[in-house]
Amino acid sequence: MKHTIKASTIFIALLFFSQVLPALSIDFRSFDHEGFTRIVLEADQSFTFSVRNRPGQLQVLLPKHADFKTRSITVENSRLLERVTHEFKEDNSILTVFFKGDITINKNFVLEKPFRVVFDLVKSEKTAPLPQNNAENSEKPQVIPPAPQPAEPVTSKPKPIETICIDAGHGGEDLGAQGKSKLLEKNVTLQISKKLKKLIESKTGLRVIMTRDKDGEVSLNSRASIANNQQAQMFVSIHVNSSFRKSAYGSETYFVSLQATDPEALELARKENQNQEDPGETIKNDELKMILWNMAQTEYIRESSTLAEYIQFELNELLGTRNRGVKQAPFRVLMRTAMPAVLIETSFISNSAEEKKLQNDEFLDKIAFAIFNGISKFIYYYNNIVK
Amino acid sequence: MTAKARNYLLISIAIFLFAALLVVVCSRKKAGHPEPETLSKTAADGAITEFIKVKLFYYSESSAFLQPVYREMQVPEIKEELYKKFIDLLLTGNNDLIIPIPVGVQLRSVFYLPELEMLVLDFNETLINDFPGGTTAELEFIYFIVDNMCYNFKEIKKIKFLSGGNENKTLAGHIDLEKPFFPDYNRIKNE
Repeated sequence: MKHTIKASTIFIALLFFSQVLPALSIDFRSFDHEGFTRIVLEADQSFTFSVRNRPGQLQVLLPKHADFKTRSITVENSRLLERVTHEFKEDNSILTVFFKGDITINKNFVLEKPFRVVFDLVKSEKTAPLPQNNAENSEKPQVIPPAPQPAEPVTSKPKPIETICIDAGHGGEDLGAQGKSKLLEKNVTLQISKKLKKLIESKTGLRVIMTRDKDGEVSLNSRASIANNQQAQMFVSIHVNSSFRKSAYGSETYFVSLQATDPEALELARKENQNQEDPGETIKNDELKMILWNMAQTEYIRESSTLAEYIQFELNELLGTRNRGVKQAPFRVLMRTAMPAVLIETSFISNSAEEKKLQNDEFLDKIAFAIFNGISKFIYYYNNIVK
Repeated sequence: MTAKARNYLLISIAIFLFAALLVVVCSRKKAGHPEPETLSKTAADGAITEFIKVKLFYYSESSAFLQPVYREMQVPEIKEELYKKFIDLLLTGNNDLIIPIPVGVQLRSVFYLPELEMLVLDFNETLINDFPGGTTAELEFIYFIVDNMCYNFKEIKKIKFLSGGNENKTLAGHIDLEKPFFPDYNRIKNE
């Protein structure tokens, strides 16, 4: 009798709490990276979820009190995603992502602070056999309990962010890209950088250094050295884009990609460390230093990716221009920075309409403010994980 | 079944699954785009000339993805000559297609390094001097060349760019040009 009462009380309490559970508000983001597309479901609290992997789509079963921040989820210009729908069905909140062609989930993991469920999708090989999706497998949800993995930097003991390095792209004889009406990239990047410095200093009190604060030429290596020597904990390079396609427009944020030759260099460095006693097997010390310097960014890739996502999200929100997404490329200026580092292509000077906008001071204010918002959110995230 | 026998069974199943996975991975790697089709044409005097049907990829104003165009080209005896001819053909294009290379850029020489499966392309200095700038423009140029070459010639796995016979740090201040580039077929439009 006693047990029955206890069980009933628990049941009623659970029933009560299930009815008054605070709404779980989830933010959906997707970005095209080099070689894969990343989907991120972010919420201010952790949640359980399960995945149904069906041909041509991915279904994520969420708790019934889960809802999305925006009524309709859009995935414009995504390389792998066709569309996304959300519905309440069978006591679940179901998110369905429809793919363009044969896509597979390459990785699925969970990050904390804030809580995020991440799916990395890749294009399947056309001639490869289709993944086994028999009726039994496709109907049976694969339950993945949330297994938080704090996205901690790989370095020994990172400190909270105190110094930010802003890099105004190009300068001096290096004009950068040029618009039809002779607007120069080097001037626009300096204007935005100065506005951004002012915003960060006035609103956060953090120390801001600039790789250049006037029209002068600074080599790419020197830019990275300035940031490293000043012990900056974030590197933000500001650029204006240009394309051979005059119709190209929008903003995009990059973090560095490791080229396939980098693992070879890493292996070379590892061998060097192992064989220090054997001069016949060693490579020159200078060469080793150069290899390690070239790889300085490798330890910060994950943080750089997160910083890029925060900034790109804010650029989309504020500029209302085309979202070209977060991308990866082997940028020389980013490779040698030993801190989270991104390069922002704010808009296209080669596009007449965007060139006109770039001549408007209010538009540059908006760009600086969007970048500042992204940086602020990253600082909050980063300082929480290094506490 | 004893515990020992069960362990043996589990290990055997694990080995079998691993072997099956290896077979699948290897077969996926081998699968890919087909080799260019070889054609032979006989002239009136009986001389036989060998041609290949190549697939060239271009950007257009309406699409940021590389889109295919089919062409035929004669096959010279020397491999490097074939690559040079291919690039000449690629740069011919037509009015509707975008060729992401500054006007006046010419290919000076071509080297193929079989042990590295790497092609070295040396363009004239106009490539660096007249490059318009912009990350997107740099990536458009790099992958226009790399994807086209690697797609049509299986023996080429990576490409290194030179200008005026020299290594350059970047084209216009962005992408590291000192390392070779591997193809990125995500830039090719789904057919």
